[in-house]
Amino acid sequence: MRPSPELPIETERLTLRPFTRGDVDAVFTYRQREDVARYLFDGPMTRESCAEAVQARVRQVSLAEEDDRITLAVERRDGGELIGEVTTIWRSVADRQGEVGYIFHPDFQHKGYATEAVRALISMSFAELDLHRIFARCDTRNVASFQLMERLGMRREAHFREHKLIKGTWDDQYIYAILQSEWSAA
Amino acid sequence: MTSPVLPIETDRLILRLFERADLDAVMTYHALPEVQRYLDWKARDRVEVRAALDAMRKQHRLTRPGDTFTLAVERKSDDALIGQVSLRWHDATAAQAELRFVFAPMYRHQGYASEAVKRMLTFGFAEFRFHRVFAVCDAKNEQSARLLKGIGMRLEAHYREHALFNGEWDEELHFAVLDREWQRSPKVRELTANRVA
Repeated sequence: MRPSPELPIETERLTLRPFTRGDVDAVFTYRQREDVARYLFDGPMTRESCAEAVQARVRQVSLAEEDDRITLAVERRDGGELIGEVTTIWRSVADRQGEVGYIFHPDFQHKGYATEAVRALISMSFAELDLHRIFARCDTRNVASFQLMERLGMRREAHFREHKLIKGTWDDQYIYAILQSEWSAA
Repeated sequence: MTSPVLPIETDRLILRLFERADLDAVMTYHALPEVQRYLDWKARDRVEVRAALDAMRKQHRLTRPGDTFTLAVERKSDDALIGQVSLRWHDATAAQAELRFVFAPMYRHQGYASEAVKRMLTFGFAEFRFHRVFAVCDAKNEQSARLLKGIGMRLEAHYREHALFNGEWDEELHFAVLDREWQRSPKVRELTANRVA
């Protein structure tokens, strides 16, 4: 099986589409920021690392094997700005498990764009990738991130305390999850 | 990490390294189907249990992440081997370890497992300087869940249908305790107070 969803995905206000090499500048505007990197595994990006990251994302449009990912640029339909990125990672083929992640430009926050984009991503992932369960992780201090998951009806399944050292400090992490059956029922 | 001073004791139990002579006793619980799924190896017959015992006899110190430290649990009153408890070192920089235990069904419901596990945690935090110890158990395994909660470990995770096990969706619980939480747990003070010198 090689799941490749039909792209782009359109929502009311957004388009989720594959990355292109021309997206480097737009992505760099938010990935270079300290506040964006605070709760990510990586620090702020240089222009070079950003170009490499975008180059890798261009090909992330279908899943062939475990840990492959589909990564989509999120664009405002009205205005055309690239406001962030969303990704689904195939964590287990046999158990049909997926992880979603998202990064958004702070300038476009508090308008419900991230929720709208992640909702569309999860719908696509259940419908077209036939995942059984989707989970997402975040730092427990990242209130905006876990509130988004709660808005989407995801359940908090885990609260790990000081289970890892990340960038030299103890990591506290939430894991949220939702089953396909729960998503369909909502 | 150096080799710890053993054995260690509680009121009713001795925690010591496994010995070759433990084969028959280990056989009585390892070979049980209900125990099988919680072991890292197959131990269905005498040959396999002997191999398992050989492996456990080598688990007497932690040299690198991934290593396991295993102690046999013996009842003082009659020297019966009633089970085992292990600490697996996971993450060197973050000093994480996983607690596992198996007890023979015929010795359950007398508080032996709690007594042994509490002692092992106290020992692990002191001896190996762990920062956090966690334990994973099947949600259907109510006995283990009750034990872990009872000794003061926090429920950190409840995964639903995150994996298939023998064709069925699994439900899994994670419990954990940090070193500083364990130090101030009233259960530890009680244990220390009651300890026979």
